[in-house]
Parts: sequence; C-alpha cells; structure tokens
Amino acid sequence: MAADIILSTEHLTRRFAGFTALHDVSVDFERGKLTSIIGPNGAGKSTYFNVLSGTFPPTSGSVLFEGRELAGLAQHRFSHAGVAKSFQITSVFPAFSVLENVRIALQARHGRLNFWSPRRALGLEPHAHALLDQVGLGRDAARRASELAHGQQRALEIAIALAADPALLLMDEPTAGMSPEETRAMMDLIVTLADQRTVILVEHKMKMVMSISERIVVLHHGELLAAGTPDDIRAHDEVRRVYLGKH
Amino acid sequence: MEGITLELVGLQLFTGLALGAVYVLLAVGLSLIFGMLTIVNFAHGAFFMVGAYAGYAIYQVLPNFWLCLVAVPLAVALLGMASERLLVRPLYGRGIDYPLLLTYGLAYVMVELVRIGFGKQGLPVDTPALLQGSSDILVGQFPTYRLFVIGVTVLVLGGLWLFIERTSFGLIVRAGARDPQIVRILGVDVGKVWLIVFGLGTGIAGLAGFLSAPMQGISPEMGGSVLTVAFVVTVVGGMGSLVGAIVAGILVGVVESLAVLFFPEAAKVSMFVIMAVVLLVRPQGLFGRAGLMS
Amino acid sequence: MINTETLPATDAAAAASQPASLFAALARQRVAATVLVLLTLPWILPNQSLAVNILIYGLYAAGFNLLFGYMGMLSFGHAAFLGLGSYTAGILIAHAGVAWWLAIALAIAASALLALVMGLLAIRTRGIYFAMVTLALSQCVYFLVYQFPLSGGENGLRGVNVPTIALPGLSLDLLDPTVKYYAFLVVVALTLAGLSRVLASPFGAVIEAVRENEMRTRACGFQVEHTKLMAFIMSGAICGLAGALNAIHLSSVAIESLHYETSGLVVMMCLLGGMGTFFGPFVGAALFLLIQDLFSQWTEHWQLYVGLIFMAFVLFFPKGVWGTILEKFHGR
Repeated sequence: MAADIILSTEHLTRRFAGFTALHDVSVDFERGKLTSIIGPNGAGKSTYFNVLSGTFPPTSGSVLFEGRELAGLAQHRFSHAGVAKSFQITSVFPAFSVLENVRIALQARHGRLNFWSPRRALGLEPHAHALLDQVGLGRDAARRASELAHGQQRALEIAIALAADPALLLMDEPTAGMSPEETRAMMDLIVTLADQRTVILVEHKMKMVMSISERIVVLHHGELLAAGTPDDIRAHDEVRRVYLGKH
Repeated sequence: MEGITLELVGLQLFTGLALGAVYVLLAVGLSLIFGMLTIVNFAHGAFFMVGAYAGYAIYQVLPNFWLCLVAVPLAVALLGMASERLLVRPLYGRGIDYPLLLTYGLAYVMVELVRIGFGKQGLPVDTPALLQGSSDILVGQFPTYRLFVIGVTVLVLGGLWLFIERTSFGLIVRAGARDPQIVRILGVDVGKVWLIVFGLGTGIAGLAGFLSAPMQGISPEMGGSVLTVAFVVTVVGGMGSLVGAIVAGILVGVVESLAVLFFPEAAKVSMFVIMAVVLLVRPQGLFGRAGLMS
Repeated sequence: MINTETLPATDAAAAASQPASLFAALARQRVAATVLVLLTLPWILPNQSLAVNILIYGLYAAGFNLLFGYMGMLSFGHAAFLGLGSYTAGILIAHAGVAWWLAIALAIAASALLALVMGLLAIRTRGIYFAMVTLALSQCVYFLVYQFPLSGGENGLRGVNVPTIALPGLSLDLLDPTVKYYAFLVVVALTLAGLSRVLASPFGAVIEAVRENEMRTRACGFQVEHTKLMAFIMSGAICGLAGALNAIHLSSVAIESLHYETSGLVVMMCLLGGMGTFFGPFVGAALFLLIQDLFSQWTEHWQLYVGLIFMAFVLFFPKGVWGTILEKFHGR
C-alpha cells in the first residue's frame, strides 16, 4: 500500500546565526490528504512552513515537490511549480478592490507580459468572481480589501492563493485572530478545499486540528516528534508528554 | 607617472585619511540615525554645513577655537533635536519615504536660510593659529591641521564606542539597532532615545562640518556635495553598521586621494566605482546585514 | 487609491454624489482632460514661458510619478535622465547638426539605456538604499558629463538651435512662443496617451501591486525585479524626452540640469501635486512654477517659501493638491 507522496522534506535543517530552528526533519506528505503540522510554541512550525513555501531556503536538506527539488529556488518559482500559500499575517493588497486582489493573482498565472491592452482584455474577471464565490466573498467583490473584516481578509488570502490553481495549498495559522464563528466558517472552507487538492496547515488550535486533519505531523524543538493519523497522535506517548506536561 | 615617489604616495595616503576622517564622521552619524530611527536623514549634509557656519558665527562672538570645538556640535545637536521633535517625529509610521522627504525639505530650507544670513558666496575660514603649518610625519611634511582632524575623529569614535558599548543608554541603542520594535516593547521611553540619537548623529555631522571648514572654506552648497559622499560611504559600508562606516569612509577617502595622484580625471568618480562594485558583489554593503529592511 | 478600472460604471455613478461621478468620468478620459487643460494654459497664465515650463516639467514629473507614485520607488537621481536627455539632444543638434526628430529619439534612447544601467545597480539593493543609490549614481553622471569635452562643462551647452520644424506640408516656426508651445503639447499629449495605456494595462496592475504589497506580489508569482527595472526604464525614457524638449526650448543646456537639486525638484513637484494620480504631476509642476514666478517678484529667496510649503505638505497634505481633492470628492 504505497502512499502517493506529493511533498517531502529530507533531512531538512535550518540554522539562524548559531540557533538551530530545524534539525534533520524528514517527512512525507500524502497527496490529496489534509495534513496539519503542530507543535508547542517554538517547535519550529513557522520556520518549517517558511522553508516549505519558499520564503527562505533551508541550510541543508531537500524539499521535493512532485519529485522536483524546490529548496533554494526563488519565491516566484514556487508559485509556478504549483505550490501556493497564505501568510500568517494577512497579506493582501489593501487599496485594491477585492476583485482586483484575485484578478491580479490570476494574471500572474495567465497573463503574458502586456503593456498595451486594457486589463479587461485579459478576460480574467469571471474566473476571479468564481474564486470569490468559492470562499464566500462573492458579494464583496467591489469593496476595498482594507475594509473587510479580519475573517474576510483571511478568506481573500485563500482566494488569492487558489488563483494559482495549486496542487498544494500551504496555510500558516489560517484561523489566527478569528472569532469562534469565523473559525468554524474557515474550517468548513478548508475541508471543502481539501477535497480538490492537497492542503497542509500549520495550526495550534488542537480541537480544530484533530477534527479536520487526515494526517498530523508533530514538531518539537525543531525536530520531528511524531507523524500519523489523529488517532495515532492521540495515543502517542511522547506527544502526550510534550503537550500535557506543559500545562 | 613621473615624479611619483613613495613619499608622495605616503603623503597622499595621509591626505586620504584626513578626507576619510570627515567622511567617517558623516557616515557614522547617518548610520546611527538610521539604525535607531530607521530614517535616511537627507538633511545630514545640511547639518554638516550648519556646523561649519555655526563655527564661523560663534567664533565672531567667542574667538576661541577650542570653545567652538565644543560649542558647535552642541548647538547643531540642539537644532537636530528640535527638528526631530517637531518635524520628523509626527511622520513615524507613515512609511519610510515621508521622514526622508521631510528631511529633504528641511535641508532645502536650511540652505536657503544660510544664504539669507550669510550670503550666497562662500567664505574662507582660517586655520587656528596653533594648528597652522606642517609637521614631519616620516614620509614628509604634512599639514598639522589635517593631523588634528584625524586625531579628533579617532577621539570621537573612541568616545562613541565607549558610549555605545559601556553605558546603559548605549545598550538601548544597540538593542534598537538590532530590532527597533524591541525597544518599544521593553517599555523604554522611545521618544527620548530618538531625540538623543538624532541629536548625536546631527551633532557629529556638525562637528565634521566645523572641522572641514579650514580645509576647504564654507559655502551654502557644501552640504549637498558631501551628502552624496555620506550616502556612498554608507552604502559601501552597510547601513546601520558603525564598523562599516569607518572602514568604508577610510577606503573612499584614501582611494580618492590616491586617484588624484594616479588617475586625476577619475578621482571624483572613484567612489562611485567602489559603490558600483559593492552593489554588484554584496548589495547589503561590506558590513551590512543581508535582508536588512525592505 | 481605488483602481477605477474595476469599479463597474453603475457603482461609481450611483453610489456617489455629482462631484464624484465627475471625477470617475475624468479618470476614464484622463488623457483628454489633461490635454484640454494644457491647451488653455497659454491663455490663462501671466506669461508664455511659464506655460512651456509647466509642460516640460509636468512631463518630467509624470515620468518620475510612474516610478514614485505608481510603483512606490523613491528615486533621488532622476535629474540624470532629464539632464542626459537634454545633453544628448543638445550635443547632437549643436555639434553634429542632427535633425530634431532624430536627436529627440536618440535622447530618449540614451536616457532609457542609462536607466537600464542605473536600474541594474540600484534595484538589487534593499528599498531603504534606493534613494541614496540613485542620488549617488546621478551625481556620478553629473561628474562624467561635466568632464565630457563637448558638454561645455561649467558653462553648459549653447547653440541648440531648432528655429523651424519642417513637417510634410507644414513649417512650424519655433521662434514663435505660441507655435512652440502647441508643437510641444502634441509631443506631450502623445506621451501621456502612451503612459495612460501602460498604466491601465496588465503591466500597470503589477506596478501598483508592487507598491501595495511587494511580498505578496512576489508570492503570486510575479518577477518583481523585472517589473521594477522596466518601470525604471520607462520612467527614465519619459524624463529623457522632457530633457530633450527642454534643450530645444532654451536653445541651451545648463549643467545644473544634472545636479541633485534638479532631482529634488521633481520629487517636490510630484508630492505637491499628488503622487500616484494622473493629473498630479502637472498640478505639482504648475504649483511649483507659479510659486516661483509669484514669489520671486517680491523676494529673491522664493526657495525658502517653496521649501516651507513643501514641508507643510509632507506633514499635513501628503496626498498633494490633486490627491487631496480626489480623496475629498471621490467618495472614498
């Protein structure tokens, strides 16, 4: 029963001026599954996410996506390869309309270098509207992105990431700063998205992680502590010690 | 290449050090201000110029070079602090361009005020009696005053080093240079720190202006031309790095002076060649941190 | 600044009051509106030379605005493009007897080439260095041109004489200020039309995206450095054109046109008028030149007042005259 691996890291290490944030992390991520990366504060989750998504390269080790080495490539290559991400701190285009936010993300994928035609000529607006509908922002297309509520801005972030039609979607704490209702809405959205593509999350809301994840990866002090299904993780002695011992 | 002896090269080297000393003082002030306030002070050249003119003016009232040497940086620092408090501070948080634009406007106004007060023509400044003439420095006779400038610069740098490395205020400056946010979080009165650092940076610039006055005279435009050099030195050395400012300042000064000897036409652009090379090979500067400030 | 291209026409008209819909209409026809205003300048201004200067410096500011207002990159070295454009056209006309249209074309090419070189050096640095590096590089150009034998050094270049422009079937006497103004206006209008198209194009969208959120633009998959370089080259080319026109207008080129004060000048004009708006550069150029014209009649220290006004704008009206007007009435 060989699993279909879409992304894997091999002996991934990342050092920052004498401090080792990640050490020898080797993980396989299965295609089509919703995997969550968890770990106590300072476990290296964000660093791992940043290396996986191309924000910065690892000090050593590989990031293989569909068998291709991605580590060390420039940021824009990740997007072209089929890996899209949403940021932990909401990062949209504040002065643009919601529609324009998604349209320009689509342009990166579909538009060739064009100095002369009006933007409408690219015909990306219907596609942009469809993506907005998918994340529940259909009626807000004309509003300025900076006017959206926090939860809506996070949804916009996801729409922007989806514009790249990624095979793999990486999300860094997608429910950060959200109210319980917003969190629930976001969880439903993530589950829907996971039907069509592979989703990898970094999260620390344990209830959420346990209820929606198909696989879980646990990091601790920059190292891989455990990996498996939610049931595996629930029963894992080391994980229980790390989490329960902290309280 | 006739007539170029080792002695001549040695003397030019020292000229380069004297030139470099002024550059170092400018770049150090600029880097201090940037490191702490994250502002590129486009008025830095103007404060340099004001220092020169302040020296001229204060000397009329207080004809003692040594008193002026102390009074001028203090006067310029006061002006700098007033500028920071009233003009620059309201712009924090508005993006990196606005404080820069403000300081540019400030420089523009300062130059015009000096033109109104002292006339558009340049003014010559005498070397103080005690420091006139030349001294024997092994390779030949070298103007005493320039040796003095090198000496003062070394003293100022030494004092600055002590201040930053050994005092609690210096600790805050160091922490703030690493991460400006941290200082605020730690509950320090950031406003006071900014005020003092800005005053310190501009005061040093004013001192540099005062020191350079006997070497080249003073004119309202002297700030503009020296601002370019300060920027080049900072880019070469690395923004926010004091060691970088020192190394780059000396490098630029020495290369320029030696170029006068060997390739006179290229002397003025030699510093830009250095800058271009650094930009191609190590864009963050010789001692700058990669990924500093986007 | 809302991207009016994506606002449905009904939204803009329905949601706002009369002034706002007027502005939306203006935005759609911004080139025509600008040209319309510029057409009337010689009639409403106190003197002719002021009108031509507004045209030329407005174009200079428009080129700069592409980089600063629309892309968010503050360059303090744009005098290099204005000056090189002036000197290239000037030297070709005065010393080589080159035809006016070829001289202008080569001036634009020279400035674009310089922008490519400067851009390659300046864009690799972090944002905070950009202003410093561009200032330094343009000072380098100043020194190089100063020493260049044909430039005339301190005294500048004389004898850039283009008394008539011979077009098929038409001969324009450039010694007549009115004819000169409208001849230049044709050039400016065509340039603005091109600029407007570029800003409204997909490329224009990327430029604004970089200003809004560079990191996000990168993450979307755009090659931001290429975009910056192309915008820099376009900006340099437009400013080079303004320089060429200036050389023909004055029949001479002053070395000051390469000095960093000329770089600062365009920064001030752009801010005073309104960065990132289409009319802003011309409003800013007009404002600056009018202040200079007015104040220099009372005092030789008009620059003091301009400087103070500029500082006041930075502190209190950062959006500039036109930007503030847009904000108040556009219903944002």
